[in-house]
Amino acid sequence: MRIAVVGSGLGGLLSAAILSERGYEVEVYEKLPFIGGRFTSFNYRGYEISTGALHMIPHGSRGHLARMLKEAGARVEIIDSKPEGTALYNGEEVEVRKRSFPLRSKLSFALFCLKNRFREVRLSELERRLDDFSARFLRAFLGWSLSITPEETTLTKIYPIYRSTLELGGPGVPAGGCRAVVEALAEVVESNDCKIRRGSKVRSVRKEDYGFSVHLEREAKAFDVVLSDIGHEETAKLCSYRAEKCEPSSGIKYSIAIKQPFIEHTGVLFTLNTRRISGMNQVTNADPNLGKGHFLMAHQPMLTSNVKFEISEGLKDIRELLRGYEYEILAVQSYSDGWPVNRAKAGGEESVKTPLKGLYVVGDGAKGQDIEVEGVALGVEKALQEVETLEF
Amino acid sequence: MVVTERCVGCATCMLVCPKDAIRVEGRAEINRELCEECRKCMLYCPLEAISYVTPELTQKS
Repeated sequence: MRIAVVGSGLGGLLSAAILSERGYEVEVYEKLPFIGGRFTSFNYRGYEISTGALHMIPHGSRGHLARMLKEAGARVEIIDSKPEGTALYNGEEVEVRKRSFPLRSKLSFALFCLKNRFREVRLSELERRLDDFSARFLRAFLGWSLSITPEETTLTKIYPIYRSTLELGGPGVPAGGCRAVVEALAEVVESNDCKIRRGSKVRSVRKEDYGFSVHLEREAKAFDVVLSDIGHEETAKLCSYRAEKCEPSSGIKYSIAIKQPFIEHTGVLFTLNTRRISGMNQVTNADPNLGKGHFLMAHQPMLTSNVKFEISEGLKDIRELLRGYEYEILAVQSYSDGWPVNRAKAGGEESVKTPLKGLYVVGDGAKGQDIEVEGVALGVEKALQEVETLEF
Repeated sequence: MVVTERCVGCATCMLVCPKDAIRVEGRAEINRELCEECRKCMLYCPLEAISYVTPELTQKS
């Protein structure tokens, strides 16, 4: 079976690597000169600044992505965070554990879950029932991991993510950052004699009797199956059918070089008393090769659509948080619209299927129910199951 | 080099610019003094938000 993969983001490369391991003939098309999409990095002034994602894997070495990287035979070391996270609350850093939350809030949460598991109730309803620390933590956690606010999501969407975090645990940092992950996957694809074509923009994909024809600038090729890593909307445009609009999530990421370490551990520091910033991690604590000095990354969701205003609020937070430290902001990166944090707002599980049999969407436009790249891994798993059921 | 409305401010252009001629805060701004028109930013922009306007075209307009 011949399979075309459109887009070399994490979803595309993970699919391509596993399929090439299973013996399928795979060809990956990437319109840009580099692979990895929003899951890679460039060395900028001595620091591995990512194109999108934070250098983190939400459930570390025990998560879905780690499991599927293993299946793909990709050699990636994941350094699990210890502690998983701490919270900066009223000037004090406290470890985030079950017992960090007051019993009353834990009971309110359990009751809220029981009552609303099958109803569409906004998480801001829950927030109102919690003590100040727990409410602020909920907000920071959603902002950091999903770039959304409690107003934007419901319990039914977040509950599976909560369960899997309990079950699979907290985050880890891939050694070498996101780039090491996509490069390891590309190595698998290429070692199986499959091609990754950089700078090759797919103009259209047409349904044919035999399968699909994939059209580039000057050539067309025949495939049995097409996996698209560019989201449902863009895929629909390529294939000339209509798809529903999908709401992306937007956010802003700050890369900071800092002289003295600000965080002492390899986990996330959730910032609870800020205007915008949800959390930070000092990725060089896990892998010193990610920067020539201490390298801090901070993230915030967008609360308004005014990017300049959002950045000025975020920068105010950073100034206050890092008061007394010597630091330099290397990059301010905003993500929205066609280059978002997530093509589909987290929790809103999108199907991998399209109206065309044999055409499937992978990547963050068709995630399973989990955080960021863990959801991408689950989506890929589902798409591959679909491919395996096709008969040729 | 001209940055169009499609720019969301992801700063990929800034990361790859060999002359460090690009600053981004919400949107890319190219410093014409430093830019040598190598067009790397244009090629690497995920949103095709940077276009190259030849000197002749600029003169006409």
